Amino acid sequence: MDPLFLAISLYRRRKLEECVELCTQLLDKNPYDQATWSLKTKALTEQVYVDEIEVDEEGISELMMDDNAIATVARPGTSFQRPATNSGGPSPNVRPTTQSGRPVTGFTRPGTQSGRPGTMEQALKTPRTAHTARPVTSASGRYASMLSTADGPFINVSRLNLNKYASRPNLAKTLFEYIFHHENDVRTALDLAAAATEAAQYKDWWWKVQIGKCYYRLGLFRDAEKQFKSALKQQETLDIYLYLCKVYVKLDQPLAAIEVYKEGLEKFAEESSLLTGIARIYEGLNDMENSIKFYKNVLKSDNMSVEAIASIATHYFYTDQPEVALKFYRRLLQMGVSNAEMYNNLGLCCFFAQQYDMVLTCFERALSLANDENVADVWYNIGHVALGIGDMSLAYQCFRLTLANNNDHAEAYNNLGVLEMKKGRIEQARAFFQASFNLTPHMFEPHFNFAILSDKIGDLQHSYNSVRRSLEAFPEHTDSKELFKVLREQFATL
Amino acid sequence: MAEITSREESKGYQDYEGNKKWLNAHYDPLASLYTFSQCIALSDINADGENKLIIADLGTGTYDMKLKVYRGTSLMSENAIIDLPTGVVTFYMDLTEPRTPAIAVASGSFIYIYKNLRPYFKFTLPSLPIDEKEESAWIQAKDDLIDVSVLREILDGLRSKGVILTVRSMKFLRLPPHELSTFVTLHKNSPLKMQTVVTCLETLKKSHSEDDAISCLVLGTEHLAIYILDPEAFTILTKIDIPAVPVFLSVNGLYDVDYRIVVACRNGAVYSLKRGSEVKKPVFQLSAQPVGLQRIGKNIVVACMDQTLQCYSTKGNKLWLIRMPADILTMEAMEDKQKGFKGVLVGIENHEVHVYRDKYLVNVIKTEDAVTGIKFGKFGREDSTLVMTTKGGSLLIKMLKRTAKFEEKDATTSSGPPASQQQKLNVPKKTKLFVDQTLRERNNCVVMHQQFQHDLYRIRLEAARNYAESLNKSLNPISTNPQEPLKLSVHVNGIGPMFKLIVQLQNTSLNSPSVGLFLTFHFDSSLYSVEKTLIPVPFLVPGLNYTFESYVECKSDKGISDTIKAYLCRRSSSTPIITGIINMPVSESIIVS
Repeated sequence: MDPLFLAISLYRRRKLEECVELCTQLLDKNPYDQATWSLKTKALTEQVYVDEIEVDEEGISELMMDDNAIATVARPGTSFQRPATNSGGPSPNVRPTTQSGRPVTGFTRPGTQSGRPGTMEQALKTPRTAHTARPVTSASGRYASMLSTADGPFINVSRLNLNKYASRPNLAKTLFEYIFHHENDVRTALDLAAAATEAAQYKDWWWKVQIGKCYYRLGLFRDAEKQFKSALKQQETLDIYLYLCKVYVKLDQPLAAIEVYKEGLEKFAEESSLLTGIARIYEGLNDMENSIKFYKNVLKSDNMSVEAIASIATHYFYTDQPEVALKFYRRLLQMGVSNAEMYNNLGLCCFFAQQYDMVLTCFERALSLANDENVADVWYNIGHVALGIGDMSLAYQCFRLTLANNNDHAEAYNNLGVLEMKKGRIEQARAFFQASFNLTPHMFEPHFNFAILSDKIGDLQHSYNSVRRSLEAFPEHTDSKELFKVLREQFATL
Repeated sequence: MAEITSREESKGYQDYEGNKKWLNAHYDPLASLYTFSQCIALSDINADGENKLIIADLGTGTYDMKLKVYRGTSLMSENAIIDLPTGVVTFYMDLTEPRTPAIAVASGSFIYIYKNLRPYFKFTLPSLPIDEKEESAWIQAKDDLIDVSVLREILDGLRSKGVILTVRSMKFLRLPPHELSTFVTLHKNSPLKMQTVVTCLETLKKSHSEDDAISCLVLGTEHLAIYILDPEAFTILTKIDIPAVPVFLSVNGLYDVDYRIVVACRNGAVYSLKRGSEVKKPVFQLSAQPVGLQRIGKNIVVACMDQTLQCYSTKGNKLWLIRMPADILTMEAMEDKQKGFKGVLVGIENHEVHVYRDKYLVNVIKTEDAVTGIKFGKFGREDSTLVMTTKGGSLLIKMLKRTAKFEEKDATTSSGPPASQQQKLNVPKKTKLFVDQTLRERNNCVVMHQQFQHDLYRIRLEAARNYAESLNKSLNPISTNPQEPLKLSVHVNGIGPMFKLIVQLQNTSLNSPSVGLFLTFHFDSSLYSVEKTLIPVPFLVPGLNYTFESYVECKSDKGISDTIKAYLCRRSSSTPIITGIINMPVSESIIVS
């Protein structure tokens, strides 16, 4: 068999390492074989290829040193920083929040863990005490260049004559992808793309998209926007719409992004990736009703979308319809999603939908599947079930176990504090509450509980301060408002 | 310049419905007036038919106190006042033509009388008897029989017994030790005097009730007394002792016939004084400190610090109470004789002035700033003028439109259930699924319960096992042992390869300190090197947070990370008391590529 044909076959069957090996042998015989060279670059790229659109964890430095944000105080509902209040968004009383104070999403993806932190210290502290340590820059978040070959690099990028390759479109494209993905050298990739687009007399949309991608990586979002828009004029492809929306999200212009998604939908009707994008943006703006509407639309065209099913299920769970949520989670289970989180959610749904025979079986399964990262959350939820059936000692043990597995679990600290308060151990309870609100200042519960505790022992000054912090975190909390009113009256009366 | 811009600004407020009843006459945001309703008066002090605005400005509160007189929109004269003014009134003190009223300014323990804007007379409140022991102590100090520390001890003892001391003694007690002797040498030769301070000032017509009849001055003092002064000779006509410090007065009647003085006191008690009667019990007791008192007809309206406006009858029966949206700053009566309107103006914190007729809100005026001083009356030649000063020191003058009518809106809407009762709650419908599931639950209740109990035992066992394991390994960051009430939390700062570990320790007990502890770290020595592997922990005082720090260097540049454990141990035992687990972030030594 022709070795090149075999190599292509290996590439198609994704036996990439064998393909690379074979290509290396061929190139040893004939170093100027362009087809083999091109195949080898492709195989090497494929080994480290990640989807540019989906996988994009924002690093700390991008978050903090973001000079693209247009308005520091945007109008409510027009920015991710200031989601519209009272726009049908879930109240933190019902739907818990993530570490940055956003309602939890049904599906974890890059960027759902936290919004933009307010201060540098918060930015450095919050994600790093959490289990998911956030990279400092998105550049170091990619470990593409970690793979090294034994006999030196395949292509020495710094010595390439870029202009020569730019004029050969068949080689340039594979070379670009190699530099961009495998070498992670965005600057050189940009030089090559710029030379190539010039050689193509600015008529090749593909190169414009690549330049846009490079600009995006370099943080030049306005330039990226121009390139994508220009490419879109020549050729309407789905990718370009998605990239353009990513740029708008980066620029914190959610409404513009939705606009672009909707334009895309006119060309690519019912396209699930566009619909999912809109749903995500509404979710980021705390507009759950619209978000769920679009997730449901996603399911109409793609009924296997894990993200849509999980998000809808979470929404139903937190809007007091656990039985519907249960149905969606069962669907996920049938689709083969089987992990600790899944069983944990099923257990909770069963418990709140009163299907008691299934509850603990699910949690047992979750515990056996859990790893170091999520076992704390499973114990925390078992603790909730224990609270629900009134078994305080089991609840106490579960919350303790949560803390043993994750020292920064603020919710567990808070619940332990409440349990200690019930037992009448004031000092312990106070320590737990303090630990809780030191870890997550945006949660209102520990502040409120601390206020109640201080109020009970007659420390009105502390109580007043705490209840004010609680109201800062959650201005509509009725109990806090009541306590605040009572305290005010007590301070005013003679 | 200021006026032009201010008109622009106030355009927005002009659109507001309540403001349409008023004409904007003058607005000066830079008037820099710091004053209250009690220190504002409107009167024709030159007898030329035009009322002037007299304001006692509190200045900065320590100096720059001034008596300012406005004629129209311009400042006519300024007189300096020595002490903080507490009240300003104008009154006719004689029958000489032309009839020019005098201005009385209460300040410190004096009443300054101005006539034709010139100082005319100073009335000093009578000095009070001094406690014998205090007097003898000062005499001894003067003759150098006792030294300053002994003097201080004597005075301190007197004060703690509840004796009311003179101002000099109070000042002396307040001084730091090294200034005591200079203070004594400076003051010991002047005679000791017990002086009181005027807290409020009002007028009372003497024998005729005409507008320009001669009036007496009524004033309340810090030493629990109300004085009525004769306007011609400035002698004390009557002195009435009351049980609390008076802060607001409301006077009507004639001195020679019959009069009634309603006094609101600082402790919230309200007393009613009549000619020739003794004061025994308060007419009523308020729920909070008063911030304003007015008599409207036969009712007493009081504004209180708990954001309420309360109305009582003269006999002390509570008639109504209204809650305000914010704290009340001041209150003033509003009487328009032509329209026969009587009401109260209430200045509140949220930049509004409310007008109440009885308990009905008839008008809301929005202003740019919170109003602290209000006066309603004749200014210039205009009968119904509203003068307001704000917290920021601006001066607003508004005139009531002749066509303005105040209508009671709440009279009809206040009855019936509140509107919120009609709102529907957003309760999700029970789905068919839910009904099916309840059916299943009903049919299989026994099996389900048994299964649940069975599982519950298993999970309890599992939890207990894990819990026991974590106890054995002391994995918890908060100790479960009541003998060792300790809490530990660890943070990592830095981006690598150098990190800073910050360990916080707290003794959570009430009163048992911890001693003899040390901190140590457990880590993979091929990956990390810790600067301080052992940190001795000092004596831990209960309740305080102790912070310890150590640098950690990551040796690897492969982008791998590990956990570091922080142990808090006791020297005598090999198992740690509590443990903190730190998930180290990936070291960022490879950022620059």
